[in-house]
Amino acid sequence: MTRYFREISVTLALAALLLALAVVAPSFYQAQPLLSLVAREAPTLVVTCGMALVLICRQIDISVGSQFSVCSVVVGLLTSLHWPLGLLVPAAILLGAALGALNGALVAGLGLPSIVVTLATMVTWREGLRWLREGLWVDLPRDTQWFGLSQTVGQWTLVGLSLMILALLALAMRHLAAGRFVYAVGSDVEAARLAGIRPRWITFAVFVLTGAFTALAACMNVAQSPQVDPNSGAGLELKAIAAAVVGGVAISGGRGNLWGALAGLLLLACVGPALTHLHVEAYWEKATHGAVILLAVVADGWRNRKLDLR
Amino acid sequence: MSFLPSDSSLPNPSMKTPRRSVLSRHETVLLIILAVEWWFFSAGGRNFNTLDNNFDIIRHSVEIGLLALAMTAVILTGGIDLSVGSLLGLCAVLFGALWRDARLPIGWAAALTLLAGVLAGGFNALLIAGLRLPPLIVTLATFSLFRGLAEAITHGMDTYTHFPETFQFLGQERWAGLPAQFPIFLVFTAGIWVLIHRTTFGRSFRAIGFSAEGARYAGIPVERRLAMVYVLAGLTAALAAIIYTARLGQAKADAGTGYELFAITAVVLGGTSIFGGSGSVVGTLLGVTAIAVLNNGLVHMRQPREVAGMLTGLLLLIALSGSVLLKRLATLRQRWQSFPKPTPRISTL
Amino acid sequence: MAPLLQLDSITKSFDAVRALKHVSFDLQPGEVHALLGENGAGKSTLIKIISGAHQPDDGSLTILGKPVRHFTPATARRLGVACIYQQPALFPDLTVTENVALRLEPASGFRRVDWSTRRIRAAEMLRQLGADINVDAEIRGLSMPEQQLVEIACAFGSGARILLMDEPTASLTQTEQVLLFAAVRALRDRGAGVIYISHRLEEIFALADRVTVLRDGESVGTSAVSEVTESSLIQQMVGRALTQTSPPPAGKPGARKLSLQGLGCAASGVRKVSLDLHAGEIVGLAGLVGAGRTELAQTLFGITPADSGVILLQGERIEIGSPAQAVAHGIALLPEDRRRHGIVLEMSVAANISMACHRRLFPRAWLRPAAERSLALGFMRDLSVRAAGPEAPASSLSGGNQQKVALARWLATKPEVLLLDEPTQGVDVGAKAEIHKLIRALAGAGMAVLLISSDLPEILGMSHRIAVMRGGSIVRVLPGNSTAQEVMSAALGQPLAPDRL
Repeated sequence: MTRYFREISVTLALAALLLALAVVAPSFYQAQPLLSLVAREAPTLVVTCGMALVLICRQIDISVGSQFSVCSVVVGLLTSLHWPLGLLVPAAILLGAALGALNGALVAGLGLPSIVVTLATMVTWREGLRWLREGLWVDLPRDTQWFGLSQTVGQWTLVGLSLMILALLALAMRHLAAGRFVYAVGSDVEAARLAGIRPRWITFAVFVLTGAFTALAACMNVAQSPQVDPNSGAGLELKAIAAAVVGGVAISGGRGNLWGALAGLLLLACVGPALTHLHVEAYWEKATHGAVILLAVVADGWRNRKLDLR
Repeated sequence: MSFLPSDSSLPNPSMKTPRRSVLSRHETVLLIILAVEWWFFSAGGRNFNTLDNNFDIIRHSVEIGLLALAMTAVILTGGIDLSVGSLLGLCAVLFGALWRDARLPIGWAAALTLLAGVLAGGFNALLIAGLRLPPLIVTLATFSLFRGLAEAITHGMDTYTHFPETFQFLGQERWAGLPAQFPIFLVFTAGIWVLIHRTTFGRSFRAIGFSAEGARYAGIPVERRLAMVYVLAGLTAALAAIIYTARLGQAKADAGTGYELFAITAVVLGGTSIFGGSGSVVGTLLGVTAIAVLNNGLVHMRQPREVAGMLTGLLLLIALSGSVLLKRLATLRQRWQSFPKPTPRISTL
Repeated sequence: MAPLLQLDSITKSFDAVRALKHVSFDLQPGEVHALLGENGAGKSTLIKIISGAHQPDDGSLTILGKPVRHFTPATARRLGVACIYQQPALFPDLTVTENVALRLEPASGFRRVDWSTRRIRAAEMLRQLGADINVDAEIRGLSMPEQQLVEIACAFGSGARILLMDEPTASLTQTEQVLLFAAVRALRDRGAGVIYISHRLEEIFALADRVTVLRDGESVGTSAVSEVTESSLIQQMVGRALTQTSPPPAGKPGARKLSLQGLGCAASGVRKVSLDLHAGEIVGLAGLVGAGRTELAQTLFGITPADSGVILLQGERIEIGSPAQAVAHGIALLPEDRRRHGIVLEMSVAANISMACHRRLFPRAWLRPAAERSLALGFMRDLSVRAAGPEAPASSLSGGNQQKVALARWLATKPEVLLLDEPTQGVDVGAKAEIHKLIRALAGAGMAVLLISSDLPEILGMSHRIAVMRGGSIVRVLPGNSTAQEVMSAALGQPLAPDRL
């Protein structure tokens, strides 16, 4: 099925990379470091889910990194105040949803370009957080890391949780009518309106959902260490966009799915350690992300051109 | 030759030139805001309204001002360039490397750095104008790529320092009573103003911003003009990098972080439409001044740097929302004259 | 049996132009009713009224026996009116299945999507229309006719019983047409009514049950297809007394300026066009919608550059790869779509007028406002453009004045070859005459003019020669003193048989 060409090719590339690593740098395949790597990427995966949703709707949200930082710090602070998990998570989700709602209101309500709106909110939240916290990390009570479980079990829990969230969202986007509406709005707003869909509400909802997912990811982030780094969201939006775009989610909206984004994320996540094992410095990571996004965009543009010229 | 009454276009078909005021309404509002800012900070902070401080404001705002001016041209064409801040960092690092590691004379290092800026801008131009990819995502990717290259060159930690005194004069001393980098800024501003307001290039930028297809049908070489603005942005980032290095006396990979936001905010504050087509250099200058005064004033009120960042972000949102809301009000007024209702758009990438 | 649709004495005017005058029309269930007429006879206005896009000034509209007031496109859709235009309103990135589903299913978001039911239903609907399209295919990958079939399936499936088809076969091959006809017949057999606009008489005889001819905004008559012949239809379409509103063109054409040899552009459908334009000559380019006239002009102007054939300018071979190149060679195009391509609405009249001649008016790229202003004032005076001044935004002008500004832009470039695509469309009678006078003067001064027009009197009155296009190529070149019937016949692809007319 050439419809899923991108998703398939990314998965193949991932398999090839894993294979190459097995041959060239077998030290990559050690149980504990590998599990730690995957667990560390679990929050990013959840954010990528939200980002994929936004991109499919033909928008963009570069404020997720700052939202992540804000939510992480708030969750950390509430944890140190001994809030129970049952209250903590919903509170975090509410906060994330509120942050997302602001983006959504400006983009859907006023018709402002999402790039500029989320650029502004990104800086506002980031600087506001830095101002209020003065760069201080949040120390967490001793028994709260890994939800009080052992490290290995905790890591597996996080990985499982993120995959479950991915699966649920993927299911909703495939089998829930509202999920299909997101694709419709991203593909052609006018046709969507003609079909009776309300594009503004869909767009608003997408930003709110992204905020909620980011908050969830922040909870997962807090659970991983004894402290919360107020800068933990830096660069997260680019990672999420890169993963989604590599995984076949089109910038022009209306196409792509979460499984491709998962493959894309894993591919990018393995590139870092692969470079390390090949004795290339880690500083090339940012450059790699940028290059990867460019390659994916060029490939998509070329593909669209071929199709449209028929 | 008689005209049928159907040709009623406007109430008074007079052919006289309407009187144009020096500043548009938006710019006048901005001047008022500036005046308020100035009054507020003079009252609230000591040492604010001093010559030394005014020069400080100017020094700090030259780099952002340069970027904002180049960004004006880009946004006029309906595009955007998110990579200018990162490119500033990359060029600063390149400049340092060329001087310290390649041991080139400072003049040569500067020249090659400017060339690097042109090439980087050309890279953006190739993808945006040549391959017709959306400027948003291209410059978002190069935003990451350029910063990443800067970090890779410096291995994340290197700092280039000990630049010659004559060079640092450029950023830190005075020349004929004004900050030394100011003349460069003035010349550049004059050049951009001429380009945008007095040449056919500027006219074509506007046309492209309003309607790229319409401009194409008028014989305007759209791709060439687009390439021009992105290359110009690259060159400007390199120039700003050199001045930045002179002012701080050092070059690090994180130079220029966040400058793209300041630049875009200044441009939008100054009344340039984010959708392209309309805007002015004077407006951008006022926007830059407003931001610079804000930053500086907050410092004098002993507010931390972050407050400035926050307020800049909020300013951008208010400026954007304000202009859309005003337009909606105008359209509502028009609706009384039974025009068809415009569908509020959702802006897409 | 109650008619699906009934229009009584519909009248509609735009400014001072009367597009429809007391037109009555009805559509019965289970029929294909063809609508025939020249370009500008009022067909599209009638269609827009039926689809709710325009409100009639007078007359009544009844659907299924119930009179309708405040007829908006949304109301029309609800009452079962569907428009099948050449650009289908589909989602390009989604599959056929999903496109059908999204149109048919209610707009509530919180329900489960049943993909198997969706696929079965889409496949069934397409099968009923006789279409063999993979329901899992993306719309973007389908050909235009396939997309049209999907659009028809969507419309019919969502309950539309009054289908409007405007030139649906304009770009279809023979085999694709067969498929479309099968679909239309299937619709008819299921009780729908199809209003079918086409200029291809053979289609009308093959498909339609009744045919109504419009002429100059009036209905000339409705008849059963079995009762008419081609020639009687043509006679009805053009049968007015053709009084020449303008004197025949004077002057003899001079040296050959532009020569097209076998020119073709695969992307836009221009096929092997050969034509010569001489200095001082006005060549009319006639043909029906979809014949390829605008596409030829766009190829000559570099919008869709040619990929085969030769263009010779003053005997020298040239390449025209972009509009900028065309302008540099002295070729100018006044485009058909005034609002999107002819002018930039947001910019001033003066800026619009000077937009194509920057090189000449502003040497060394330096703007000269005074020179620009006087240029604009000169043209505004010569073309009688009514505006508040040269600084007025083009959006504040009426359609006719906007067209004059668009024309002024190209006249300012002093071109060697002037391509005019519907130059007097939407322009009032007085201004029309001025523009004709101007075109003649330009030709007299040595310009070569290609005049694309759907207005037969205009073409007949202005042209030294008339090239008739059909299906992307020039099928006949007639002398300027031909009759309307001859031009129309050629455009319709009929053999010339003067004794039948």
